[in-house]
Amino acid sequence: MKIIGHGGKEIVERVMDPRQAVDKIRGLTRIPIRDQLAREVVMLSYGFFTPLQGFMTKADVDGVVANMRLTDGTVWSIPIVFDLANEEIDAKRIKQGDTLLLTYQDQPMATLDVEEIFSYDLQKMAEKIYGTAEEKHPGCARTYKYADRFIGGKVTLVNPPKMSEPFDRFFFTPRQLRAKIAEKGWLRSVAHQTRNVPHSGHEWLMKGSWIACHGDLPVEKIVTGIVVSAVMGEKRKGDYIDEAIVLTHDALRTYGYFREDVHITSIVLWDMRYAGPKEAIFHAILRTNLGLTHHMFGRDHAGVGTYYDPYDAHRIFDTISEDDLRIKPIRVLAWWFCPVCGEVTYSGLCGHTKERQNFSGTVVRSIIQDGVRPPRIIFRPEVFDLIMETAEKYGFGSPYVGDEYLAKRNPLFTVPPLKL
Amino acid sequence: MTQETYPINVWINEERLAKLQAVNLADMAEEAFAGLKVLRVPCTEAQRDKVLATFPTAKYDSATTKSIEQLPRDVKDKIFDAVIAKGSLNIMGEFLAQY
Ligand SMILES: [Zn+2]
Repeated sequence: MKIIGHGGKEIVERVMDPRQAVDKIRGLTRIPIRDQLAREVVMLSYGFFTPLQGFMTKADVDGVVANMRLTDGTVWSIPIVFDLANEEIDAKRIKQGDTLLLTYQDQPMATLDVEEIFSYDLQKMAEKIYGTAEEKHPGCARTYKYADRFIGGKVTLVNPPKMSEPFDRFFFTPRQLRAKIAEKGWLRSVAHQTRNVPHSGHEWLMKGSWIACHGDLPVEKIVTGIVVSAVMGEKRKGDYIDEAIVLTHDALRTYGYFREDVHITSIVLWDMRYAGPKEAIFHAILRTNLGLTHHMFGRDHAGVGTYYDPYDAHRIFDTISEDDLRIKPIRVLAWWFCPVCGEVTYSGLCGHTKERQNFSGTVVRSIIQDGVRPPRIIFRPEVFDLIMETAEKYGFGSPYVGDEYLAKRNPLFTVPPLKL
Repeated sequence: MTQETYPINVWINEERLAKLQAVNLADMAEEAFAGLKVLRVPCTEAQRDKVLATFPTAKYDSATTKSIEQLPRDVKDKIFDAVIAKGSLNIMGEFLAQY
């Protein structure tokens, strides 16, 4: 049965059985790829980026840069491009019409059909996507690091990666997640995008958006779900380690803070661009393809520094019609702790603006760093203990990324050996 | 003029508050966040400099919190234990003498 994703386009999986692929890929020009591209190859191949089936050609990049649309008219906000140095293109005599073999971890991983080789004005790309050309914006910095040529064309996974423990339990392709949602009987489901371990402010963001998402549906049976969608990509020092993020979110369900039948933890592979509003659109597209009906957007979604107004990522949805985006944004303010109310409450409801206490990132970090178990109203004890456990088991003693984690961590996935 | 101090903020949960109560220091802990309290263990300028020199991760946050931050967890645990053992907040002189 056809499954339909973003833009009303069919979700196509471009994945071959490695045994059948061997004959087709023997002798192809090999191109080793870096982590970001490997993650994007996986996403493209399983249809997470539908309607894209490969890296963008120049016309698509032009459309995305100029008016946030692909050449076929589909809304798209972030360029998905494959860069390669001119010297490598020359040395390997790569030309239009070739098929390249992309290797990762020294193993054949995917093929790339060379539909077009082009160059692009990176400053223009950065300026239009990020609203700034400043190098200190991490998205611009990533853009400026691209090599001087791009190759547009379809990718096909010829050697599917194996997700590592504990991520294997949380990785669902669009097809798999849709099957899981159907199995749960959910009519609606709301995405919670995260790169955090959850304190109860996050928990309430999810609860609030579940209630908003459920809306007018009958209540006798659970027909609405929360899908935690954790973004796994390049790590920076001070980020939470990936293992802590997924395991603590999942623990909210296993310890009953969310019922078994309302909550799933999942991951996507993506290197954050911090594009604020443009990235909000991209996240909405990604979760549309995963089969979700709603997406929660909080304050300063995917923002960085002071480049975007905290609610730019909400307002951008006013510019897009419902025909262009099949997922509905749920726009929320922050939750805070109010000593007068005696609870975690919604800033849009509680009137004790003088007494309220925000979930400050610095305070939460300091509490976690010191390992002093806070009151359960702000941090669930099971979650807190699990952060400490994952720090020991995966984080070389810390739940925050440090040099040792960067150097020695377990990779998210490995590409199995494939002899040609 | 009161002398400027450079505090180390130690988080106080219920378990730690009980220990502070036992040595009559519970009132020194200030409300911080949702019932979690903070105990400000003072350092002189010289002690602050020694803390920063002894523990390379430590930073003095002069901009926002005006306190010594990023100390390793075990060091802060020991500071708290020293407060309980002495029944006083003025422990940094003796504490730093071990280093
Ligand atoms: Zn209130």
